[in-house]
Amino acid sequence: TAPRHPQEGNRACILVDSREITTGLEVISSLRAVHGLQVEICPLNGCDYIVSNRMVVERKSQSEMLSNTAKKKFIEQIQRLQSMFQRICVIVEKDREKAGDISKMFRRTKCYDSLLTALVGAGIRILFSSGQEETADLLKELSLVEQRKNVGIHIPTVLSTRQCEALPFYLSIPNISYITALNMCHQFSSVKKMANSSPEEISTCAKVTHQKAEEIHKYIHYLFDVQMLP
Amino acid sequence: MERNAPGGTGPVYVPLGHIVANEKWRGSQLAQEMQGKVRLIFEEGLASADFYLSSKSCILYITEADLVAGHGYRKRLARFRNSAHLQGIIIVEKTHLSEQYFPAVQKFTVLDLGMVLLPVASQSEASCLITQLVLEQTREPSKNPFLRKKHSMLSEFSLVQTVQQIPGVGKVKAPLLLQKFPSIQQLSNASIQELEEVVGRAVAQQIHTFFTQPKRQQPGT
Repeated sequence: TAPRHPQEGNRACILVDSREITTGLEVISSLRAVHGLQVEICPLNGCDYIVSNRMVVERKSQSEMLSNTAKKKFIEQIQRLQSMFQRICVIVEKDREKAGDISKMFRRTKCYDSLLTALVGAGIRILFSSGQEETADLLKELSLVEQRKNVGIHIPTVLSTRQCEALPFYLSIPNISYITALNMCHQFSSVKKMANSSPEEISTCAKVTHQKAEEIHKYIHYLFDVQMLP
Repeated sequence: MERNAPGGTGPVYVPLGHIVANEKWRGSQLAQEMQGKVRLIFEEGLASADFYLSSKSCILYITEADLVAGHGYRKRLARFRNSAHLQGIIIVEKTHLSEQYFPAVQKFTVLDLGMVLLPVASQSEASCLITQLVLEQTREPSKNPFLRKKHSMLSEFSLVQTVQQIPGVGKVKAPLLLQKFPSIQQLSNASIQELEEVVGRAVAQQIHTFFTQPKRQQPGT
């Protein structure tokens, strides 16, 4: 079949955290090599990949999941993602084998099993990957599934200066994800318009659940009391 | 001890902390290793699953041989998915022999069917994992760190941070503005004159512009 060239903004888009440039370079270049994916590197502040308006993907190396020392940090990270995103997927990636390193045998631990079952119990998806290339392939598949469910990311890549100014403002709203803030930049004609929107309007424009929209609405209308400042 | 009706049509009754296993697993290494940790009840004629963790969730086990044999297991999974109102957890033997088939299985079960898939290297790894799954089932949901209620932090501090994102507003002006216009919504509707009572003319103008200036219409939107 001849390659189709969908219009700019109509292609599936994945947002990638800038930190992944150092840790997952191969993932990024594989994503770009996969035809028809728009890969945007953004300062996502600790979210590895955003594949749709509601889904974040956390890439974790197997060795980190096996050790008890990193467990607390991992749990805190997932909890943070839960406050921002409706859906979470964890990709457990096999560590790269260094030549002559036999000590790094994968030995399953109780810690690893208990993490997996806790994730399953909370409805967090888990995928297993043998390396960075496969991780990229899984990310692509996830974004396609999300697109079929009409929650794919479709935003023009270029922000006007006006929108650039509004982005940090929207990002400072508690528990808001980068993609939600981006959607706000694009969908609200001005920040004033957003501040005077009903929860329904916020839900439609920011592409968030009704519950999330209520939360944002409450924040915008929250009355400041100087006595409460720490 | 109540027995489940054979035929596997109704919901399967699983006493707390037990696991109901398909008769075919009797005597297997997997069953033997689990027996020390959880109580197993063997049942004949369980419809489609290998183990029941509760009346709502069960485990389907795919062996290395199933994978190598081809796509037979797919029919079983799809049938299960269409018939049962159960959460299905798929445990698959991912060994050196079956590794190459794993990505396809994962795409099918997780991405197409939306089920849970967990790879194990052997039956003894599976026994540890299933034991852990039983523990997870029996503990309070609040004990799961990912199901805990989160406490929201004080909004005052984040409000100041939000207002600081407005061009021209820093650490000093943000609380002053919020004392006069106590919510973001009220601040967004303030006139230049009202803002001038708190900040200088230039900054008042900047704030007003920030809130009101619509983005330029892009062609094609």
